[in-house]
Amino acid sequence: MLDTLSLDESRKVSINATSENTLLLTWPEKICPKQHHVIINYEQLIKDTLAHLVLETIASYNSLMIYYRFDLMSSTDFKIKINKTLNSFLESSSTQSIKNTLPTAVIDIPVYYGLEAGWDLSLVSERTGLSVSQIIEQHSATTYHAYALGFTPGFCYLASLKPCLHLPRRDTPRLAIPQGAVAIAEQQTAVYPTDSPAGWHIIGQTPKTMYQIENQTFQATISVGQQVRFSPISLAEFHQLGGALIKEKQ
Amino acid sequence: MSAHLTITKLNGLCSIQDLGRVNSQHLGFSASGASDEYSFLFANKLLNNDNNCAALEITLGQITLQASTACTIALTGADCQASINDQAIKNWQTYQLNEGDILHLNCPTHHLHSYLAISGGFSTTPWLNSQSQTYTELSLGFSGNQLKTKDKIPFDNHCINKDINQNTQKITYQQASLNSNRLIPNNFLPNKDKPLTLRFIASELFNSLTNTAQQSFINNDYQIAPQSNRMGYRLTSKATLAISHEKNLSKPVNFGAIQCPNDGQPIVLMKERQTIGGYPVMGTVIQVDLFRLSQKRSGEQVNFLPVNIEQAQAQLSAFYQKFPSNLFS
Repeated sequence: MLDTLSLDESRKVSINATSENTLLLTWPEKICPKQHHVIINYEQLIKDTLAHLVLETIASYNSLMIYYRFDLMSSTDFKIKINKTLNSFLESSSTQSIKNTLPTAVIDIPVYYGLEAGWDLSLVSERTGLSVSQIIEQHSATTYHAYALGFTPGFCYLASLKPCLHLPRRDTPRLAIPQGAVAIAEQQTAVYPTDSPAGWHIIGQTPKTMYQIENQTFQATISVGQQVRFSPISLAEFHQLGGALIKEKQ
Repeated sequence: MSAHLTITKLNGLCSIQDLGRVNSQHLGFSASGASDEYSFLFANKLLNNDNNCAALEITLGQITLQASTACTIALTGADCQASINDQAIKNWQTYQLNEGDILHLNCPTHHLHSYLAISGGFSTTPWLNSQSQTYTELSLGFSGNQLKTKDKIPFDNHCINKDINQNTQKITYQQASLNSNRLIPNNFLPNKDKPLTLRFIASELFNSLTNTAQQSFINNDYQIAPQSNRMGYRLTSKATLAISHEKNLSKPVNFGAIQCPNDGQPIVLMKERQTIGGYPVMGTVIQVDLFRLSQKRSGEQVNFLPVNIEQAQAQLSAFYQKFPSNLFS
């Protein structure tokens, strides 16, 4: 549900024509589940009601990108349309509150946090002043909110980490980290769905896959707006769940 | 094996491209698609293909292909001094290949990407409604492997267009955008000395800069850095942009976004951009200029010129009017 403050803030939206066929809607620069909830509810509304004009929508922490049919509507007219839809949406949500509360189902991600899996655990411990067991405890004690899918297919930005775990990205990004790596950067945490380059600090590995393919459809394990929690598991459990531990090459 | 072209030799880079993967960026997939839509669409138009028929995007030529059966092809974009069975052929043209014919492309002296379209289009398996390949996503295995020597690229041989061959050049000459004496569109004439002007739609951030900072961004000449590719064009100049990176949460990024990372040297996001980015954005290069930029090589010069959204939309509409078809259906 929205409290009064976040509702007022949720009205402070700037709408910008970023390109010939896009509008970018930007809310105040903050990581906030309530504000994000407004964004994805509004996203759903325009997908349902403006389907003939809207090609694609992409939501992130405090923003929403809308790709539209510029061959059917000019930027000026589309901006007016979006502005109108947004105002009536915010109006109705202030009286009824947003119908859909935050999803209750929490996605559980089992993580093996051993030193050989968490390539940066020692470094994170050194930089935060926390012991390894404190890091595990702090990381797995929080229920995270899924703010955006992006970077690579199935990569989901989760926030917010406890402040004691906030670290900037690594000085030098790694060229390759393994599928299933659980990593942190600033207020965020995420699982890498595939082997990829990475600048985040790796603190563990999960045997859980981040997407499934069925009949040419791609289903990300975590959807934007969902709740996520990490549970520590032993190396034996990691193997039982089909995990293949990848150690860093020295 | 169905009708196909076999790659008998490949030194450059080559991928299958159409107009890209619309409506999959929210899952994290790059929109991808042909870098230079002008040359891509032109090739399909020469063959009376649908606009979105998949073609080969060949970067820096250096490829040899053999036809398994008769087919009609069109070659556009960077001029690779191509030949069929060692006989020189012209760019921006259609040709008939017979069974066993060998098509060879040399390394072009100017520009980067050439497009080889085939009547009816290449028929590789689509993924999320597009056959486009994204280099950084190839390891996922959804859109085929990176093309290499001995690969067979299938096409639908029901579509051999008997009406189009080298003896019916009228199709080519009809193109309004062609000079009547030449087969080369104007923007493909070598023009090495003049910087390409990238018209851009300014962002809120750019508008909030001081006049001096704005002028410095616009008056600068930028050089295309060697790390530039289908994902992004990195530009270098003596002047650097001092932009605050505080409080900048990652946001979805569009085609042509001009990112400004910590080192103050801009990056223009191209077709294979990632879907979300955290760097401050100065604006967006308009799409018709992005198609031109995609053909520029490292070391070449560009500069920026602000335009408004109405001008940008008018330019893009005019561009697509050259290729009438169901672009969005």
